[in-house]
Amino acid sequence: MEVEGQATTVKESQPPKFALPVDSENKATVFRLFSVAAPHMRAFHLSWVSFFACFVSTFAAPPLLPIIRDNLNLTASDIGNAGIASVSGAVFARVAMGTACDLFGPRLASASLILLTAPAVYFTSIASSSTSFLLVRFFTGFSLSTFVSTQFWMSSMFSAPVVGTANGVAGGWGNLGGGATQLIMPLVFALILNIGAVKFTAWRIAFFIPALFQTLSAFAVLIFGKDLPDGNFRRLQKAGDKTKDKVSNVFFHGITNYRGWILALTYGYCFGVELTIDNIVAEYFYDRFDLKLHTAGMIAASFGLANIVSRPAGGMLSDAVAKRFGMRGRLWALWTVQTLGGVFCIILGRVGSLGASIVVMIVFSIFVQAACGLTFGVVPFVSRR
Amino acid sequence: MATARALLVASLVLSCFLFPCYGTVLFSSLQRTLEVTASPTSQQVLKAGVDKITVTWGVNQTLPAGTDSSYKTIKVKLCYARISQVDRPWRKTVDLLKKDRTCQHKVAARPYNPANRTSQSLDWTVARDVPTATYFIRAYAYDADDKEVAFGQTTDANKTTNLFQVQAISGRHATIDICSICFSVFSVVSLFGFFYNEKRKAH
Repeated sequence: MEVEGQATTVKESQPPKFALPVDSENKATVFRLFSVAAPHMRAFHLSWVSFFACFVSTFAAPPLLPIIRDNLNLTASDIGNAGIASVSGAVFARVAMGTACDLFGPRLASASLILLTAPAVYFTSIASSSTSFLLVRFFTGFSLSTFVSTQFWMSSMFSAPVVGTANGVAGGWGNLGGGATQLIMPLVFALILNIGAVKFTAWRIAFFIPALFQTLSAFAVLIFGKDLPDGNFRRLQKAGDKTKDKVSNVFFHGITNYRGWILALTYGYCFGVELTIDNIVAEYFYDRFDLKLHTAGMIAASFGLANIVSRPAGGMLSDAVAKRFGMRGRLWALWTVQTLGGVFCIILGRVGSLGASIVVMIVFSIFVQAACGLTFGVVPFVSRR
Repeated sequence: MATARALLVASLVLSCFLFPCYGTVLFSSLQRTLEVTASPTSQQVLKAGVDKITVTWGVNQTLPAGTDSSYKTIKVKLCYARISQVDRPWRKTVDLLKKDRTCQHKVAARPYNPANRTSQSLDWTVARDVPTATYFIRAYAYDADDKEVAFGQTTDANKTTNLFQVQAISGRHATIDICSICFSVFSVVSLFGFFYNEKRKAH
């Protein structure tokens, strides 16, 4: 829906002109997916692409694990621990990222994190033991905290009627990286193998692709991005145009809110499950059904790729039930969808044929990702402050 | 009329016996009729891509003639010893051969002529995608339907004796190492470059 917003804020210098209609804070009031107009839509595309790159890097190892486990002599425990490490770093990194966004702005905070974790992806190419493998996966996983900067940036650029869509699409399309990488990495690996490298070298070279993608997306964010519609944090802070929040106050109010903790638990069991499956699904299909690497990768990819619609659909479902039943509706919808996701997860483990496994996996992915979207239909209402 | 019907029923019943033929062979049902020897001594460490293994195989000459009448092909494989299967379910030993993952590396496949019972041998350079592990060699005899009918191995029935090791290649090259480090340094340095630039512009 297009809403003609008020014009511009008066400043000593020229009044800024925007390609999209804006409100009094210069936040866009519409969301035009296929525009790259500065600063709003450009910020959207920069943030989802850089977040996508981080997901690609974090889950670049799983589709190649059948090769990596032989090269580095990994055991099942090593692989499991590395998988846990890859997603656990993000826990603390996300909290830190929130603070960093408040202090330095999402553009600098996300680009800094992405460039500082890129070395971890480059060093994956020279990993030589289970310990080094675990460490590179752990530090690469820190980049998943760009989710926070994505949401922060979208909330700075888009006004209330469209911020949910902007946040949902940016988040969902970033998560796509976890699926896309399961397609990309086996293809890149096969390409390099064709050129003439041996298996144990080809996977190492393949890791330069996600690493370079990550580096370049961070550069794009730094060069083309702006923290706020009016400009960047530093300049605005100096001019006195931006207020500074008291970080400790915000933090205290956050951790004493019981609703936050409950949602953390439920989100752990939908998004956490999604990340876990991203980590293991390629290996599962490769080993259980004796598939080729790229076939297992394609099947694994379809799990993450469902994010393109399922997470936004969850958000839309939440909004739809809220119209009729309010918050109660949102919570019941979340519970139902997430429980069904759990049921299909159990079924996935029980089916023995390839065709049935693929079908159940896709249904499972839709439910678990929609539950993530539904969670974020509730999150904005946890605290009004 | 009656004979035609009987013939039809008989052929239908007999055809049902064809189905279990594919993909249901159990390892425990195979006879150990092949004699397999390999050049690596017990506990010897071989380097992948560099060292060679000489494998010799043939039917046990003490067995009666006709044991090997159905053998059409012999496939020799490199198989994981028990110690290399621990905590690695993708190398699990399963009785159903279709699902068995013990022997994942092909060494050779040669046609077999029952009339010529002399043993065959082969020199094989350890492939560069063979992982670091402990191994033994096993040969399977296949019939015309490509179904396993017999086997032989260099180790005993418990897979504990006469095992050798392979040291895999690392896959790393100096070029990759240098590129990794250079790009990493570049990423971090360029970040500080951007910061410096921002500071300069703000003043």
